[in-house]
Amino acid sequence: MIALAALALASSFWLLLDLISVYSQSTATFGVASFEDRFSDFRKTLAPHTVLGYLSDNPVNDPSNQAEFNLTQYTLVPAIVKPTIDEHLVVMNYHSATPDAAGLRARHLTVLRDFGHGVLLCRNETR
Amino acid sequence: MTFFCIALVWLTGFGIARFLFPAPPRWSLHTVFLFSLATGVGIGIASCLYFLGLTVAGPSLLFLASLGIIVAAVALLNGMLAKNRGTALDWAPGPPTPAYLTGLLLLAIALAATMFVVHSIEKPHGEWDAWTIWNLKARFLFRGGEYWTDAFSSQMPNSHPDYPLLLPSIVAMCWTLARAESISVPIAVAFLFTLGTAGLLISSMGVLRGKTQAFVVGILLLATSSFVQLGAMQYADGPLSFYMLATLALLCLQDRFPSDLRFSIAAGLAAGFAPWTKNEGWLFLGAVLLARLIALLRFGDRSALGPQFVRLAVAGLPATALAAFFKLHFAPANDLVAQKSADLIAHIATFGRWVITAEGFVKMIFLVGGFLLPIALVLGLYWFLVRFHIEEHDRPSLVTLLLTLGLLLAGEFAAYVAFPPDIITQLNVSLERLYVQLWPVALLPFFLAANPPQLVSRPAHIDTKAKPVARPPKPKRRSPQPKPADPPVRLN
Repeated sequence: MIALAALALASSFWLLLDLISVYSQSTATFGVASFEDRFSDFRKTLAPHTVLGYLSDNPVNDPSNQAEFNLTQYTLVPAIVKPTIDEHLVVMNYHSATPDAAGLRARHLTVLRDFGHGVLLCRNETR
Repeated sequence: MTFFCIALVWLTGFGIARFLFPAPPRWSLHTVFLFSLATGVGIGIASCLYFLGLTVAGPSLLFLASLGIIVAAVALLNGMLAKNRGTALDWAPGPPTPAYLTGLLLLAIALAATMFVVHSIEKPHGEWDAWTIWNLKARFLFRGGEYWTDAFSSQMPNSHPDYPLLLPSIVAMCWTLARAESISVPIAVAFLFTLGTAGLLISSMGVLRGKTQAFVVGILLLATSSFVQLGAMQYADGPLSFYMLATLALLCLQDRFPSDLRFSIAAGLAAGFAPWTKNEGWLFLGAVLLARLIALLRFGDRSALGPQFVRLAVAGLPATALAAFFKLHFAPANDLVAQKSADLIAHIATFGRWVITAEGFVKMIFLVGGFLLPIALVLGLYWFLVRFHIEEHDRPSLVTLLLTLGLLLAGEFAAYVAFPPDIITQLNVSLERLYVQLWPVALLPFFLAANPPQLVSRPAHIDTKAKPVARPPKPKRRSPQPKPADPPVRLN
């Protein structure tokens, strides 16, 4: 019984140390808090029941693509964000210094407002 | 204000739990049991009322506040005024508990609390599913105003709009009452469920097998880092684990105190909240009812079947009906179930899916829990040293527990084989969570059957149970209950 308790407690202690070590080295560049900061100005302009399209400059197969989309949706509630640009309004989440203007034009997207921090509101001219 | 809302919910649960099982107002095992049960009862009832309020009156703060205060006041008043009656829960007789075991339990509690706090500080919004599903829905319910039903919009398939609403509802309710979207609410709810699960396991094991066994199982659960982390992730797996454990522990207590049918009422209440927490709750509800039926018919008192099932059904029906109402009226079809039947048949007919799933299920037995050594092997060694010792009166409980676990695992296995298009990803992201969810429930039958360890030398006059007993002749046909004169049967 003592061995069982000791193993359990040692495992728990080991993992706790591991957790503290990992968390003390991590930087807050990705995650809910950073998305809340980036999108806070934009969110204040949104009314409930708004439906937005979504565009990102991440490569399609980038593993962070899905996570960033979900974080955008979480941040922009009560608006509904769809992973498509086939909506009248489209939010763009970009990471480069400036958005790719040619890419936006090719998708028939016109910038309505730049909220900074890599957040753009665009209008889809075809919708 | 946030703390006040959480306290109001918990006090509602405590009032109802104390009304069901009144106890003198002092610190005792009975009180620990009530404190633990209060979490699930309070949160379950509050979330149901919140959702009903939304559907009836919309997002009205006045209506919600009035309803909350009235329900809490009535529950507390009834709980406080309830006269001591029925069963008083106390430690079952067992070997003496050494002081160091208490110390180890306190250490396990401290480690678990530290781990929970560290995780919550680093990830206050929880992990992936918390902000993709559960807290996302809570935000829709709170921020959406008259468009609160957007939480179930089929335009957001990633958020699984058909998932039930116990967790989002309670979080949104506290935010609405506090008029602030504090992240401390989902953290506090997750903490209460984690603590409540441990408290419920320790207290019910204490009643069933004594203090030593209860402390051992408590240390093992609280030192299971993945159990504590699952709680801190703010997923609905933690609450579902609580409700499954509560249902089964209360049914075990029902078998221990057969004349007090309030245990069946409380078990029904807990079981009813399971489908309101997660879709797997429906599977659990079916599994536990079938297991209970078989256990009572085969090993229990058949005359208790009717009274117990009536109470289970009456207590469980409101929450189950609400979950069904949500499914039928608001939720879009589940993405996995809504697949074409030809695809499902193709999945089932693919032999490789069976092999992959079986491999995953077997491997996980050795990986679950985040222990330094595979816990299945350690528990195997523990069993070898202490052996099982099953009392006649524990048979219906053990059969209920083991059959429920077996049916749950079989159901989940079938779901893995039939539904997910990408079975490997599905197993990778969810199988460990499934095992951790079932971990408290799995500890219950193991330690209910295991002999309590002899940790200190004992006077000879109380040492009767652990001595080797000659195997009695195996009865050809099981005698009807109760049969207290029978010697206990060793299974090994």
